[in-house]
Amino acid sequence: MKKNILIVDDSESIRELVGNSLENAGYHVLKGINGKDGIEVLKSFDDTVSLIITDLFMPEMDGIDLIKEVRKDSTYKFVPILMLTTESQAEKKLEGKKAGATGWMVKPFEEGKLLRIVKKVIR
Amino acid sequence: MENLHSVYLEEAEDLFSRIEESLLLLEKSPDDASLIAEVFRSMHTLKGSSSMYGSNKVADFVHNLETIYDRVRGHEIDLTQDIIEATFKSLDHLKKIVQSPDIPDPIDAKYHEKLTADILGLLDEYSGGGSSIKQGSVSTKNTFFVSFVPDKNIFKNGTNPLLLIDELRDLGPSRVYTTIKKGLVSKKADPKECHTSWDIILVTEEDENPIQDVFIFVEDTSDISIEKIADVDLLSVSQFASKLPSSDLSSKSPTIKQIKKWVSEIPQEAFENIAEEATEVEEVTEDEKGEKLQRSHTQDEAITSIRVSSDKLDELMNQVSELVTTQAGLSLYAENNFDPVLNVIADNVEKLSRQLRDIAFEMTLIQISNLFRRFNRVTRDISTQLGKSVKFITEGGETELDKKIIDSLADPLMHLIRNSLDHGIESTEERIKLGKPEKGTIKLSSYYSGAKVYIQIEDDGRGIDAQKIREKAISNRLISKDDDLTEKEIYDLIFMPGFSMAKTVTDISGRGVGMDVVKKNILDIRGDITVESKIGKGTKIILGLPLTLSVIDGLLVKVEATSFVVPLVDIKKCFEIKREELSNDFNELITLEEEKIPYLDLRKEFLIKDENPPEKASIILLENEENKIAVCVDAIVGEYQAVLKPVGKYYRNQEFVSGATILGDGSIALVLDAYKIIARKIVKQKKSA
Repeated sequence: MKKNILIVDDSESIRELVGNSLENAGYHVLKGINGKDGIEVLKSFDDTVSLIITDLFMPEMDGIDLIKEVRKDSTYKFVPILMLTTESQAEKKLEGKKAGATGWMVKPFEEGKLLRIVKKVIR
Repeated sequence: MENLHSVYLEEAEDLFSRIEESLLLLEKSPDDASLIAEVFRSMHTLKGSSSMYGSNKVADFVHNLETIYDRVRGHEIDLTQDIIEATFKSLDHLKKIVQSPDIPDPIDAKYHEKLTADILGLLDEYSGGGSSIKQGSVSTKNTFFVSFVPDKNIFKNGTNPLLLIDELRDLGPSRVYTTIKKGLVSKKADPKECHTSWDIILVTEEDENPIQDVFIFVEDTSDISIEKIADVDLLSVSQFASKLPSSDLSSKSPTIKQIKKWVSEIPQEAFENIAEEATEVEEVTEDEKGEKLQRSHTQDEAITSIRVSSDKLDELMNQVSELVTTQAGLSLYAENNFDPVLNVIADNVEKLSRQLRDIAFEMTLIQISNLFRRFNRVTRDISTQLGKSVKFITEGGETELDKKIIDSLADPLMHLIRNSLDHGIESTEERIKLGKPEKGTIKLSSYYSGAKVYIQIEDDGRGIDAQKIREKAISNRLISKDDDLTEKEIYDLIFMPGFSMAKTVTDISGRGVGMDVVKKNILDIRGDITVESKIGKGTKIILGLPLTLSVIDGLLVKVEATSFVVPLVDIKKCFEIKREELSNDFNELITLEEEKIPYLDLRKEFLIKDENPPEKASIILLENEENKIAVCVDAIVGEYQAVLKPVGKYYRNQEFVSGATILGDGSIALVLDAYKIIARKIVKQKKSA
């Protein structure tokens, strides 16, 4: 059984890069282009998602609101959520953590690190 | 990666135009918060993706711009015409440098510096500088003192604290002190609990963030303190390093107080020395830096790897396969003699020999990039000789393959690349006429998929005209006029002996010897070859290869008293049927899962005569890209790791077997070649149809 991972980022290249890495590592990857889209993808997906990776700055709905929204749903109360941040967003990290994120990854990251962290949170 | 990079470039283009659009509107209404937010977000996205694609210069440059707009957004500064002007200039510059982020053109590089300075100037002007401004990639080393006291239940949620320590050590040179709580090294201690803590002195170019990142999943439950003790590399200050106790279990970890005291005792000159060294390194130009890095890299390698002659490796591999065979014998013997002690020993020997086999096997794998590199030069030479302009790209050079396979790939690949250069890629004039890019592209790539390695040779040349091949094949009497062939089958014709499409025989290719030899070479290493082509667009040739030649995972089957091994990769499914289902069938077709599939009865094929074949038989469904074949055997014994041995010269020309293996009881099993079986059956069927 492949595990499902949702990646939400408004940057196509990041979605593709992260998506490709995860797919090559044997995960099934869902993609959302902003917070709103991410929620829709999540709701319309039949199976359960084992991990959500989200960017913070996005149009329509940003990452923090996405996390809050996801945590409202009882199905996704405990699903791990990783935030993608840049080094300059220390306060955002805290805000995300308060909203219910599991951890963060600082851009840029290498594929190895991504997969290590994903493996660690998914278990 | 190539593909992803183009996604990145497209996205960058898109972001540029979005920023421009917003800026034009902002010129009219500079207070529109949503527009400013849009510009900021676009820059942020651009920075993020640029940093991910390795263009640090771009990322740093955008970072400074982003900082301006972050402050505009936060109403710290007003958006002035100066800023908008500078942003436009920067955008024009960025459009140029995203294509080649190393900025090879010295004029561009100078301009880059000037613009960076301008933007920094703007920031200074409005806010007197700021802490988050990046001035290129200045590397300064910091020394941190990290204390990590994990929760005693840390093991229960599956975390291995040692991995975290390893992750920390990846960040830079370090000293690690381990403390085990006193009195707990006794029988009473619960081994499921963690009573160990660590203190680490770490020197890294990074700031605190990556260190915190290491602990993100344990920070809620564990005690972690990270303190910066100096902004230089303290471990290389001898006055400091000499005070540190040795990092074995017997010595006590220094406390943060002690360390601070030691730091304060270090004479100022010692720091200055270090600082000077650091600035010296900074002044080294980019090129030299690259060279330096490389040099230190090779030095590392010299320590961690040794060279061994490949003959020795082959010998090792041979001995290991002998060992595996002998061990199979031991296991069998132990199983039949119900001796528990012997059983345990046999099990251990089995485990050890398997590990040994895996290690030895890994040693014989080498990166295919060595082979790829050879073609770089050759392609250049041949293309100049032919007067064609060709870009040669390689991808996936890190893919590892058995050395023997790589060796036997050199000739076939060379031939295929020559073919692409000679027949595939058009002349420059022709390409311009066709509206194609002036430079032709040949891409050589390699990747893993399943238990196989694939190598692709792709060109954007004229492609293969299936109709012409057909005509040629008819005139060469390889096929007859009314043969109905699929496109794939037509392409396969080019691998027939004596078939050449070249209108004129050139020095480089086209003498009609070649493609059949290529195919034979590939088949010899248990590989397969397929061709995809579009007229006017290009040709793609895909080689599928096994990871190794010496060991295969197989299914051990029996026909009467004879054993055979079928490679697991080629097997789709197994079925059990009654033999009478086959006996009244003249078409040699069997219905499996509502599909009619041609079958082969190994009893018949190997002329095993027995008046009373068993009532039940097993069917193994073999499959390659296009065809399915069922093979009928008496019984399936089970999975078997077969050490492949070549068969003698009497078997050279047979169409079934790729080798033999020695079973645990010393008897021999032939390893069947699924590809040859399928091919043979399909040809036979065509003939009879």
